[in-house]
Amino acid sequence: MATLSSAINAAASALSVERTRIEAAVSNLANAESTRSVNGQPYRRRDVVLRAEPVEGFDAALGRSAATGVKVAAIVEDQSEYRRRYEPSHPDADKDGFVSLPNVDAPQEMVDMVGAARAYQANLAAIGIIREMVQKALELGKG
Amino acid sequence: MNTIDDAALVEALRQQMTKSVARQVAASGNLANVDTPNYKAVEPSFADALKGQLQMTATRANHINPANPNTSGMREIKDAVARRDGNTVELDRELLTMQRANGDFAAAQTALAAKFKLVRYAISESK
Repeated sequence: MATLSSAINAAASALSVERTRIEAAVSNLANAESTRSVNGQPYRRRDVVLRAEPVEGFDAALGRSAATGVKVAAIVEDQSEYRRRYEPSHPDADKDGFVSLPNVDAPQEMVDMVGAARAYQANLAAIGIIREMVQKALELGKG
Repeated sequence: MNTIDDAALVEALRQQMTKSVARQVAASGNLANVDTPNYKAVEPSFADALKGQLQMTATRANHINPANPNTSGMREIKDAVARRDGNTVELDRELLTMQRANGDFAAAQTALAAKFKLVRYAISESK
């Protein structure tokens, strides 16, 4: 049984996931030059892993939910190599004068952020359309 | 003489609304997963849903397992082109589906409201 509320729940799950993606991109950009993170190593860029999941509710409990929401499966650290820059005066430079910098690529983060923002807008538009439908259905009870 | 039964008309409009909702639910699920790797876009399949309804369902553990457990009535959209991450959702197609479903729903609702108005008119003895 497909219901409009499960459709809204699916769109709402996407809103929170896209916000998480934007947060991850922003924290990556903010830490593009952080040579010391909590473990003493340079910051590693964070990536959000998404998973499709049936929205919770009565139908999901019966195992026949129709709407598929989305969920953050994990936030993983990108294990690719650090960028290296020759800067002997830097306190974190190694003996050859190279500093290891976070593996953050600013253009990539910007593209991710724009993609997430567009997906957020699309889901917001979807909620608007569904709400119109619900209002239209409620008009049947008037009059 | 009225050859179209009132109940049949109302039932047909109700079905159109239910179908619109099913399309809406599928599209919003697709839209939610626009960035989920390997997610395949789905659409409601009314033939599958009917088959699911006609088939027996295992309600207890010792029942014979029904052959087709797919009663959700959804199927993957055919000839959808996958992106590099294996995802087949197209943003504009989903939004278009939602707008269309919205239009169909509104049309059925308007017709149904007009029908109900006539019924109410009859009940109130044309006052």
